[in-house]
Amino acid sequence: MSIATIVLLALLAVIPAGVGAFLGVDRLGATRDRGGDAGTAEQVLAWANASAAGLMLGIAYAVLMAGTAIVPLGGTLGAAVGVGVIHLLGARARTSLARRAVVASALHSAAEGIAIGAAAALDPAFGLFLVLTFALHNVSEGAVLGSAVAYRGRGPWSVARAAMIARTGQPALAAVTLLLIRGAPALQPWALGVAAGALVYLVLAELLPGSYRLTGRTSIAVVVSVAAGIVALLGGRTR
Amino acid sequence: MSDTMRVFLYALATAIATGFGVLPFAFVKVLSRRVVAASNAIAAGLMLGASLGLVAEGAQRGGWATFVGVNLGIAFIVLTQKLIGDREPEIGDFRGAGARRMLLMVVVMTVHSFAEGAAVGVSFGGGMALATAITVAIAVHNVPEGLAISAVLRPQGVSLLACAGWSVFSSLPQPLMAVPAYLFVERFAGALPYGLGFAAGAMIFMVLVELLPEAYEQERGRRVALLTGLTLAGMLLFQQYV
Repeated sequence: MSIATIVLLALLAVIPAGVGAFLGVDRLGATRDRGGDAGTAEQVLAWANASAAGLMLGIAYAVLMAGTAIVPLGGTLGAAVGVGVIHLLGARARTSLARRAVVASALHSAAEGIAIGAAAALDPAFGLFLVLTFALHNVSEGAVLGSAVAYRGRGPWSVARAAMIARTGQPALAAVTLLLIRGAPALQPWALGVAAGALVYLVLAELLPGSYRLTGRTSIAVVVSVAAGIVALLGGRTR
Repeated sequence: MSDTMRVFLYALATAIATGFGVLPFAFVKVLSRRVVAASNAIAAGLMLGASLGLVAEGAQRGGWATFVGVNLGIAFIVLTQKLIGDREPEIGDFRGAGARRMLLMVVVMTVHSFAEGAAVGVSFGGGMALATAITVAIAVHNVPEGLAISAVLRPQGVSLLACAGWSVFSSLPQPLMAVPAYLFVERFAGALPYGLGFAAGAMIFMVLVELLPEAYEQERGRRVALLTGLTLAGMLLFQQYV
């Protein structure tokens, strides 16, 4: 599995985000507009959100364990840096709800791209595992984005396109991170740590509060913890 | 000092730490909601960090066994929550909604102390370094827990001493659970990854179902994320250098 293949696959992984966004606008957003069974739609959305959160936490665990196994200090300090940096970046994104959703999505894909790049530099199989997991989580992320920006006059196709463009940061930053680590291998644990910290921050700042607002906390907690457990188990075993 | 005694004393110390949560109420009658939210967020970070340490230790001894343990821990908390349900209790002179909230608080804290006691116990099976890290993490995180209990009891007119007493009481399952958990994983070494996973799963679930939602009710997501994330990173750092 060559590095170029992984970046190419990461590029293809924006397609599930488009599919998710299309479904989000078409099914969930439209249901809300028509005043239909909004309860069910919100439930689906909450679980989609929670499963995305679980997948991200599982990956954060796998990535962090890889980072701390190399140089403990870089991995954990990197995590603190990741939390802080993404917090500061997010503070600048205060605009309309729709634009904020797109900016948030772009920040997510940036953090995920760093994770993919750092993991692929460590072991291509590990990188591939991250690409596949993020591709899966792109569907629910896309659906959440789609339903957030769904408003009159904006069709599912244009939202799907916006969701896919917001996600291109993922393969782009994966490639950049890979090249950086190739050039300076000492960055490896830091990159893994930063990615893990940023992922955890995003889950705590965006995905979880959004999920709790939509449905009961017990079901959210079950979906998040079980999804995280599965990914941590599989991700821990690919190395 | 025998190993069993040491496990008991360590876990007793974590229980007593819960009583320190009452200290701020010696100076103020009511804590602002944001302070309570912040302490919840910090406690969440500490517990997540401790859980990650347990999972990492378990994964080295058996990934699948740890995974099974984690899911058993989640199921355990879901079931106990179902059992507590919507009781309408009476505690002494306290009745109605206030009493219900008080009882629920104490019961919930007591139930999840079982998981933390198990965590202290099984961590001794993973070596002294892990045990020290987990014990300190749980002791420190018990302080905001005592704070949370006192924050509910104090406005109902409960005395300071009684607040401290209920706080410590809620953590008494820790020494009581730690010893059998330790003896169990000591006798059946194969059970260790299951035990580590169980304790971690139960604690992670408590964070997701209690601490975080309560923090979000009083405080914006981004601030919760910053506090919890930095505490988690600090906790991981601490575990690596103990």
